[in-house]
Amino acid sequence: MIKSYKFRRHLANGLIYLFLTVMGIIWISPFVYLVMHSFRGEGLIAVPYLIPKEWTLQNYIDLFTGAGGNAALSFPRWFMNTFIVACFSCIISTVSVLMVSYAFSRLRFKARKKFMNIGMILGMFPGFMTMIAIYYLLKAMGLTQTLVALVICYSCGAGLGFQISKGFFDTIPRALDEAATIDGATKNQIFWKIILPMSKPIVVYTVLTSFIGPWTDFILAKIIMGDKRENYTVAIGLQLMTTNDFMNRYYKQFLAGSVVVAVPITVLFLLMQRYYVEGVTAGGVKG
Amino acid sequence: MTYVEYKMLNPFQKFAYKLKKFILAIPHALATFFKAIGRFFAKLFLGIGRGFKNYGVTFVKGDWATKLSYIIFGVGDFSKGKYYKGIIYLLVEVFYILYMIFFGWTYLSKFGTLGTVETHREYVGIIPKTVYGDNSMLILLYSVLSIVITVIVFAIYIYNIKDAYKHQQMKAEGKKPTSFIADVKDFLDGKYHITLLSLPTLLIGIFNILPLIFMILIAFTNYDKSHLPPGTLFTWIGLDNFSDLLNVVDGARKATTFMELTKWTLLWAVVATFSNYILGMIFALMINKKGIKFKAFWRTLFVITIAVPQFVSLLLMNQMLQQNGAINVLLGMFLGENPNIQFLNSTTLMARMTVIIVNCWVGIPYTILSMSGILMNIPEDLYESARIDGAGPVKTFTKITLPYMIFVTTPQLITQFVGNINNFNVIYLLTGGGPKTEEFYQAGRTDILVTWLFNLTMNQQDYGLAAAIGILVFIVCATISLIVYNNSKSMKDEEAFS
Amino acid sequence: MKKILAILLAGVMTATAFAGCTGGSGEESSNNSSNGSSNSGSGASATQADVATGKVDESLFGDEGADGSTITLKVWAPDATVNLAKEQIEAFKKLYPDKKFDISVVAQGEGDAATALMNDATTAADVFSFPSDQLNLLVDAGVISPCAFADVVSSANQEETVTAGTINDELYAYPETNDNGYYLVYDKSVVSDEQAGKLEDILAACKEAGKQFVMDCGDGFYSCTFAFTAGVQVDGLEEDGITQKFVDYDEDAAVKTLQAFGKLIKKYKGTFVSLNVKNVASGFASDTCGAGIDGSWDTSVNEEALGDNFGAAKLPTINVDGEDKQLISMFGYKYLGVNGSSKFPASAQILAFYLGSQVCQQQRAEELGWGPSNLEVQKDKVVTDSVVLQAIAEQASNSCAQVNIAKTFWDPMANLGNQLIADEFNPDDTDAIKQLLKATIENIRDEG
Repeated sequence: MIKSYKFRRHLANGLIYLFLTVMGIIWISPFVYLVMHSFRGEGLIAVPYLIPKEWTLQNYIDLFTGAGGNAALSFPRWFMNTFIVACFSCIISTVSVLMVSYAFSRLRFKARKKFMNIGMILGMFPGFMTMIAIYYLLKAMGLTQTLVALVICYSCGAGLGFQISKGFFDTIPRALDEAATIDGATKNQIFWKIILPMSKPIVVYTVLTSFIGPWTDFILAKIIMGDKRENYTVAIGLQLMTTNDFMNRYYKQFLAGSVVVAVPITVLFLLMQRYYVEGVTAGGVKG
Repeated sequence: MTYVEYKMLNPFQKFAYKLKKFILAIPHALATFFKAIGRFFAKLFLGIGRGFKNYGVTFVKGDWATKLSYIIFGVGDFSKGKYYKGIIYLLVEVFYILYMIFFGWTYLSKFGTLGTVETHREYVGIIPKTVYGDNSMLILLYSVLSIVITVIVFAIYIYNIKDAYKHQQMKAEGKKPTSFIADVKDFLDGKYHITLLSLPTLLIGIFNILPLIFMILIAFTNYDKSHLPPGTLFTWIGLDNFSDLLNVVDGARKATTFMELTKWTLLWAVVATFSNYILGMIFALMINKKGIKFKAFWRTLFVITIAVPQFVSLLLMNQMLQQNGAINVLLGMFLGENPNIQFLNSTTLMARMTVIIVNCWVGIPYTILSMSGILMNIPEDLYESARIDGAGPVKTFTKITLPYMIFVTTPQLITQFVGNINNFNVIYLLTGGGPKTEEFYQAGRTDILVTWLFNLTMNQQDYGLAAAIGILVFIVCATISLIVYNNSKSMKDEEAFS
Repeated sequence: MKKILAILLAGVMTATAFAGCTGGSGEESSNNSSNGSSNSGSGASATQADVATGKVDESLFGDEGADGSTITLKVWAPDATVNLAKEQIEAFKKLYPDKKFDISVVAQGEGDAATALMNDATTAADVFSFPSDQLNLLVDAGVISPCAFADVVSSANQEETVTAGTINDELYAYPETNDNGYYLVYDKSVVSDEQAGKLEDILAACKEAGKQFVMDCGDGFYSCTFAFTAGVQVDGLEEDGITQKFVDYDEDAAVKTLQAFGKLIKKYKGTFVSLNVKNVASGFASDTCGAGIDGSWDTSVNEEALGDNFGAAKLPTINVDGEDKQLISMFGYKYLGVNGSSKFPASAQILAFYLGSQVCQQQRAEELGWGPSNLEVQKDKVVTDSVVLQAIAEQASNSCAQVNIAKTFWDPMANLGNQLIADEFNPDDTDAIKQLLKATIENIRDEG
């Protein structure tokens, strides 16, 4: 009896391992394909086989030196642009998300519920609706085609994404605040000295998501940058490489560029994965 | 159904029961929604009435400084020794008047017509030169700006009067106004919420709310390709854009497109949400099953999809799904010859299925991630007591794990549903809306409302129509969220885990 | 705190608002100096503007760049031509040594030029390159300035390019090329020059060699070939200016042609494949493609991929009931336009005139292999010796001009193409095909 139970469990686990392996291969294979073909030497876009015949670093070299085509595409420059924008918008967004969620979670004031509802409602309008208006506002400020405009766009609305971190703050016992208040601490001190040190997962989560944002947006950035290629971010640049005018000559460089963008983000993400999970779960459950 | 009967159902029946209840609750929820709006307006008008009364009463009771504050901001504060506040109030007034004289009014005065002076061409010798008239777009944008500023300044004005009166009363009681330092300290403690929220609110106001008001107004204009500032003017057309979209009776193409795309958007959102949810849950359960080793490895394997930017993975997928792409090549290796399947641009069904399957590939890792966290959080004593009661693995699963997960993830489900209605990337990057069809107005078979909206804005310059679609999408999303939000409370009460 | 911020807000808003304002009002006042003597459509005499060298009388600059002030202009050119355009602009500056120029060349794909211009004309280029089908939109939106040297330009360029650039009796743009169309590209080691004349032979040759024949049937620009060949050809717009007009056609004959296409595609499934045009060159490079339908914009990359085996010809014929019918294509031209909101309208016109002149067209033909619209350059050896340009010219006489095409034209045509290549398509079902054709035409003509 016991033996058959054990056997059944082993069988079940074996099947699960098999299933997970097959699915894992399905999930990971596009990226393996991406990496392999970024080293491909022959062909232009598609090849009628899966494994490249000629392996080379040329695509990466071309990508960084701007050789093998028009010099107007400057990947290193785009990479730097994106990095700068990501750093600044990450700092601003993180600070504003944490400020807003702390206020909503810990402070009690008259219009609190109203503010939260407005925040929720604003999030339900399709983002593309306002792009044109944002463009002309930035233009009135003389900021179009600049990196500052991108930082503004990526970080200004960040305060609206307070739900998850508010959910996280809600899980920190209020008794801590009360004890601190009795000791004479102000709300400001409580925020910096008590709540923030306890919120590592959610801080990491917020930093991570807002840092990744600029690397992936290719719509708003394109509208703001227009024809100013030297101020493009990697996302617009790589997307440009897949448009009709470029695809034949640049597809392999696109693959290489994608690897260059994806690898650091993936490494970063995997290193921070634990915090990300903690942040999502704690914030998501309560939020 | 009584409570006891309900408790005896299996989880799937429970779910079906809840779904039924949910659908039945829609009319009621809608009614509540409109009642709430009604109450809001009633409250608003009462508030305005009270405001007017206070406004008059304060004037009668006020001393000279308070009375003067009705015309010149900050006099009340200034006369009672609260200098910094008085100066700030005064500066607001000066700035506002200057703003209106030199800038705001020129635009605001044309708000009703959105401009009448047409741009035309003149010749200097043989060289054509464009002589610009009014720019409807800027008139509308800066009018909205001026209106928003006016509202804010009005609020400051009222606040200034209240402040003046407050200080007058304080003086009568023999109290001194608080010092600047004390005020600053208060902003770090008692009024800390103002310190924290004002900057984010300001930014959100400028870059979210202001553009939003502008675009909502655009929905009532004929801003499109042939009414395109600065070359041509556009003007108010009332509800025409909406009736174009909703006029199903005549079978006009815009209306047909809207109806068909709405159906597909909702279908897409439902299927995409639930396929991700259910499959993701199965994956998470397998990975987190007792006795399965290398949990972190399995999770990482799937989670890489999240880390790689979506535009990279989806553009790659698009290439792989082409007739000469990697997937056909792979199938060719098994079948002997390339099957030349056209995943993305042949039939509606094929394209839609491909999109949904690829969306699973994109979305399931997110579910795995959050579900794993939740599974680890299930209180161990729940299992403990179940085991003592003699429950087997199947029973523990259906009685504890599953209900707990459904209970905990309901809010996420709603967010995901709304997220899928607005899921731009997958559709845009994968199919670009295709396969193309002759039946739709500037849209393809897999286009959802937001991708249509995007196409109308960026490629067709149909701004008015696009804004109207945006508003309708918002109404759909808001209604669904509201109903579910109202309903989920009762769901929680019913099955609270204790 | 709230108040401080409110004031700051007001301050910031005012400042930015003023900044936004000055631009607009400045333009208005500077433009009011025009004398209003309307002589639209006339243009300069040959003594004032020489189309061979692209030089015009300096007085035409008016007060622009007077007293040594700088004339700032931006030019949009497609990536392939940026370097050449820069050289040409250096030459342009030398023509007018007394003026101070600051001219930048910015890369911008021609296909997106009109959209980019319409999204925000004031930051767009002063002079830009665009294909003929976008002219209607640009004129409608009032963002393009008419051609100032209409008479000189009209007489120097091919008549078709001038007609296609004219709306309401006014020439709106400077013709740049006459080659914006597609033709047959083939690998000579797979398809012989003789076989290239007939679609059946091409497909048979490709199948034998195990290669593909690539045509983008999911894009209305290419798939309208099916309809055009079937006799369903466009004929400008109705009087309302938005509804597409078609020539009278014989429905039964049209259906027969579509059936012939359907049968061929079915017979050569796996050989005849519908892919984005980019896959023609890519297919040549990886030895999977034997022939394809591709345009002038990909000529260089196709030549590179095929080397000596590069073959170009007009589109082939298709056998319908024993009769060989020539494939009819969509064919367009490219123009140089002047942005209506240019701050230096005269200089922009003069620059566009130069870039569209004989010298520049000659350079483009020599260095880029672009087909000129200038009548003199067309006689040049560079053009008459080019296989590609001859193929394009030959195809041009079997084509519908890509002008006055309704915006509702493309999707139904793309759908027609998709239907023809679908696995479910039954070439023997005459009624269904008739229905499909009817629906296509109806929906093109329906403005929604």
